[in-house]
Amino acid sequence: MELRTLGRRVLLAIPIAFVAGFLLVPLALTFIVSFWERAGLKMRPAFTLASFEAIVSGARLVVLERSLLVAVEATVLSLLIAYPIAYFLARKASAAATRMALMLFTVPFLINYIARNFSWTYLLSRTGPINGALIALGLVDGPIDWLLYSDFAVFIGLISSYMPFMIFPLWLSISGIDQRLLEASTMLGARPSATFWRVTLPLSLPGIFAAVIFGFVGSFGESAVPIIMGGVGYELMGNTIMSSMDVLNYPLAAALSSIVILSMLLLIVCWYLLFDLRTFLGKILRWRLAA
Amino acid sequence: MNVRGNGLMWALTAAVLVFLYLPLLPPLIFSVEPADPQQAGWTWRWYIELWSNPLLVSALRTTVLVGAVVAVVTAILGLLAALAIRELGLPRLMLLLMLVPLFIPGISMGLATAFLFRLIGLPPSLPAIIIVQVLWALPFATLVILTVMSTFDPVYLEAAYMSGANRWRAFREIELPLIAPGISGALTFSLILSFNETVRTSAVQGPYNTVQTYIWSTYKQVGLSPTLFALMSLIILSTLALAFGYLTLRRRGS
Repeated sequence: MELRTLGRRVLLAIPIAFVAGFLLVPLALTFIVSFWERAGLKMRPAFTLASFEAIVSGARLVVLERSLLVAVEATVLSLLIAYPIAYFLARKASAAATRMALMLFTVPFLINYIARNFSWTYLLSRTGPINGALIALGLVDGPIDWLLYSDFAVFIGLISSYMPFMIFPLWLSISGIDQRLLEASTMLGARPSATFWRVTLPLSLPGIFAAVIFGFVGSFGESAVPIIMGGVGYELMGNTIMSSMDVLNYPLAAALSSIVILSMLLLIVCWYLLFDLRTFLGKILRWRLAA
Repeated sequence: MNVRGNGLMWALTAAVLVFLYLPLLPPLIFSVEPADPQQAGWTWRWYIELWSNPLLVSALRTTVLVGAVVAVVTAILGLLAALAIRELGLPRLMLLLMLVPLFIPGISMGLATAFLFRLIGLPPSLPAIIIVQVLWALPFATLVILTVMSTFDPVYLEAAYMSGANRWRAFREIELPLIAPGISGALTFSLILSFNETVRTSAVQGPYNTVQTYIWSTYKQVGLSPTLFALMSLIILSTLALAFGYLTLRRRGS
């Protein structure tokens, strides 16, 4: 190989090396440390399942179950909101309106979700504007307590944090569907609802799966939302990892984190094997992905 | 869908946008509210007081410094990654690898990199903060550059080669100007993501504070205060200015 070409290849490989070195290696380290043992405030290399036993046997199993449940529910709710919007933008709205709407959905996602959750604690509080409006309208007699520091509040926090980003993969995959397939379905006599259920929905599965992974990752590993919105004692995987770090129990934090990371990697591998990124990102990657 | 259905969908979209934008308001309001609830009007007091707190001044300085470095480094890495996905082979796998940071929860990423930094002896420091933030911003930067690059037809490069340009010259003179909007997008997005990152940063921050980690640790210790709302407002306003500024400029350009 010519030296110049080699130099170019090395240059182009830098970002890959960066992600491998600073993310994949650290993730592997997390697995290793999860088998280490705790020695006072430090940790010692070992091979023990103590941290995993502590998770399975103690109250943390409840945390794991609750995290799974909350993450699945928040993801499904987000999908139910994001899919119709993405479908509408991809099929019905004009190009200019779609660009504007996608831009408007991007911006709040970029703004620190912790600050946005702080705002929700005010908006949902007993003396906040939402309770105020409900009372003024005569819909309730007194302030509703379960708006804040509850499952409801955690769902509001998770959905407002992660749902906006789910619209993008959905929009990408719905707008990437070949129009001729829809026309063919209509010409063969399918009603619009049948076309949707039997053509559009199956063909948008790659986008749905990508959106689901993203929503699930966010919710399952979220650490700040349960602290802010759930109130004292509301524990999910994320803030349990955080509190294990605060008391310097790194093997336990690593074991909890390993469970989260493994479930993510499993989902990503399924996505990679089941769906072709080309069909999903077809609009983005028109060229040369056949290689 | 008929006209009525469209109207309904616009209403849903608008309602969701209100749900997303509503939480941007309270910090702005609370940051100008006088301490005494009896007192009418509004005050700049909390913003002025920011500058008399040396801890905060250094946090603001760190945020701007880290943001600038993260933006430049991420944009360069994002460009290289996009070129690598196009040229090095195995594009699907490479793209997936570049997207992995998106799919790892913040706290797991922070914890994992903290383990690595301890292993290689990198103490909690600005470089450590910069590395985790670049890692977080890189998938977005790569996607933004890839999107713009896909509108570029590689035939132009072939033309340049045939006219005798070498690869570097063809890239610099033909492709780079055409994909410049992607690169400026990557710079803007990375800067915004850096300004708004908390959880990953707080796992490796050590004694250094960014505005975000300052807000988070103060909230956990003593709760919210007008000072924190002033800081949040600064972040929200600069993010809105950067995002809408970039998007309007780009649209005018195209």
